Amino acid sequence: MNYAAVKRHPLLRSLLISLFSAILFLPFKDLKSSAILFAVLFICLSAISSVKNLQALPSLPKIKLAHPRFLRSASMPAGIIIFLAFPFFLKDYYLDVLIMSGIYMLLALGLNIIVGFTGLLNLGFAAFYAIGAYTYAIVNTKLGMDFWVAVPLSAGITALSGIALAIPALRLRGDYLAIVTLGFGEIVRLVLNNWDNLTNGPNGITGIARPSIFGTAIGKLNMYYYLVFIFVVIAAIIIRRVECSRIGRAWISIKENEIAASSIGINTTKYKLYAFAFGTFWAGIAGILFSSKMQFVSPESFTFMESVLILSMIIVGGLGNTYGAIAGAFILALLPEMLREVQSYRMLILGIALVLLMIFRPQGILGGFKRCTF
Amino acid sequence: MLNLSSIQTSYGHIKALKGIDIEVEKDEIICLIGSNGAGKTTTLLTISGILKPDSGDITFEGESLKNMPPHTVVNKGICQVPEGRRIFPRLTVLENLEMGAYSLNFKSQTSNFKNNIEKVFSLFPVLKERTKQMGGTLSGGEQQMLAIGRALMANPKLLLLDEPSLGLAPIMVSKIFKTIKEINEEGVTILLVEQNAKAALRLSNRGYVLENEVIKLSGTGENLLHNEDVKKAYLGE
Repeated sequence: MNYAAVKRHPLLRSLLISLFSAILFLPFKDLKSSAILFAVLFICLSAISSVKNLQALPSLPKIKLAHPRFLRSASMPAGIIIFLAFPFFLKDYYLDVLIMSGIYMLLALGLNIIVGFTGLLNLGFAAFYAIGAYTYAIVNTKLGMDFWVAVPLSAGITALSGIALAIPALRLRGDYLAIVTLGFGEIVRLVLNNWDNLTNGPNGITGIARPSIFGTAIGKLNMYYYLVFIFVVIAAIIIRRVECSRIGRAWISIKENEIAASSIGINTTKYKLYAFAFGTFWAGIAGILFSSKMQFVSPESFTFMESVLILSMIIVGGLGNTYGAIAGAFILALLPEMLREVQSYRMLILGIALVLLMIFRPQGILGGFKRCTF
Repeated sequence: MLNLSSIQTSYGHIKALKGIDIEVEKDEIICLIGSNGAGKTTTLLTISGILKPDSGDITFEGESLKNMPPHTVVNKGICQVPEGRRIFPRLTVLENLEMGAYSLNFKSQTSNFKNNIEKVFSLFPVLKERTKQMGGTLSGGEQQMLAIGRALMANPKLLLLDEPSLGLAPIMVSKIFKTIKEINEEGVTILLVEQNAKAALRLSNRGYVLENEVIKLSGTGENLLHNEDVKKAYLGE
C-alpha cells in the first residue's frame, strides 16, 4: 500500500493516525486507556474528514466571510491591542509565560531569516542565543555596563559570531551545513560550561541587573512584558521591511534555486552572510532580554533541545513566514504551560499534535512565505 | 566578442577541459556539440564564472573574465540559462521575470524593465497569460521559455544556453529553436550547448565539436552538418 492510497482514503488515514497515537501512548498507561484514546481519536478524525467531504458538495454553499479584506487589515491592530491589554487581567504566572514566549518570538523571527527565507538549515541557533545572553551577563556583572548600552553590543557580538561561523560553514550545503551548525551549538555550550574564569562554568552567572528606564529599574513583570513586546513589534516590522526589499528577494531566490540565483547575478555568498548576520542579530537581542529577565544564566538553558524547539516553532508557524514565526513561537511556548494539568503526558500530547499538524497542514499554520505587495 | 584560449578546468583532480579555444563574434549563433561528459556544460560554467579555470584566459570585449565571480560576469552582459530549467518554482511567472532584472541598477530598472518585459512577452506570449501562476506549475516547455525570458530581462549581450531542448516534446523543441533565432536577430549573441546536434547545427553560424575534453572539430554549421565524422558520431546517419 503506497502513500497516495492512504491520502485518498480519509477513513484509512484516520485509522492509521489513531493507531499511531495509541501505540505511542501505550508505554505510559495500560491497554484500556490506549484503546479509549484510539477510539476517541478515530471517531473524531473520521467525523472531521466526513464533514470536509460534505463541504465539497455543491448543495452546501461554503460560508464566506463578509469582508475578508477588512478582517485581514483589522486583525493586526486587534492582535496588538489584545496583547497590550494582557497585563491588566492576567496573573503574574501567565505574564511570565508570555514574556518567555516573546523572547522565543524574537528567536523564531531570527531563525526564520536563516532557515525560512534563505533555506540554510541551522541546528545550533541556541548558541547565538547563548552568546547574546552571556555577553550581557559578563559585561554587566564584570564591567557594570548598562542594559541599553549592552543591547547593541550583545546583538553586535552575536551577529559577528554568526558571520564568523558562516564564513567557513557556507562552503557547505544542505545536510552538511546543518551538521556544522549543530557542532557549533555544542561547542559554544561546552565552552560556556568549562571557561570557569569568564562564565563561572556550570554554576552560571548570577546577579545580572534588570534594565532601567530613566533611572528606575524595570522590576515589575508587566513593565518587562511591555519591554519585550516593543522589541518583538520592532523586530517584526524591520524584518518584514527587509524581507520585501532587494535583500529579501535575493534570500528567497537562493532558497528556491541557488544556481539560478547566481545565474541572474546574485552574489549568493554575500546574501547568505547577510542572512546569518541579520538572523543571529535577533538571537542576540533575545539573549540579552533573557539574561536580564532571569538575572541568571547558565549553559543549561542553551542545549540542543532549545535549538530544536526554535526550529519547530518556525515549522509549526509556516517556514518563511514572518507572522508564522510569531504564531509558532506563541503556540509552542504556551502549549506546554496550558497542558500542565495533564503533567506527564504533556510532552507526548505536544509530540502527537506536531505529527498531526505535519500530516494535515505540512506548510504550517499560516502557510509558506507571504508575498510582499508593492 | 568572447575569446577562450587554452582553457583548462578541473573538478578536484579530474580534468574536465584540456585546453579549449573558442571564439564568438558579435551577433553570431555558435553551437557546442559533443557527447555526454565531453565538457560542454563545464565550458559554459567556466565562462559564467561558476567554475574557475586552472589555466588559460577568457576575455569578453577585451576584458579578462578569468577571476570574476558569477554575479560580476552577469553585470558585464553575459547571462546563462542553466541546464534543466532552473526557475524559481514557488515564485510566480512575473516574479521570476522580475528576478531576472536583479542585476540592473535601480535607475535604469523601471524604464528598462517595462521594455524588457514587453519584449519577453512578445517572444513568449504564453508567459503573458500566466503571469500569476507559480513557476513550478508550468509545463516543461513553458519553464524553458521562462528560464530564457528571465535571462533576457538582464539585457544580455551574450546569452549562454545550456541544453534548451532537454526533455521537451519535439514540437516544443522546434518552437524554442525558432525563438532562439528571433532573439539572435534582435542583436543578442548566442552560445548554445546542445545534444540535439542536427537542429543546433542548422541554426548556428558556426559550431565546435567537443570530444574527450578537447575541441575536435570546428567550422560553419553547414560544413559540420555534412562532415562524415560528425554525421556518424552525432547525427546518427
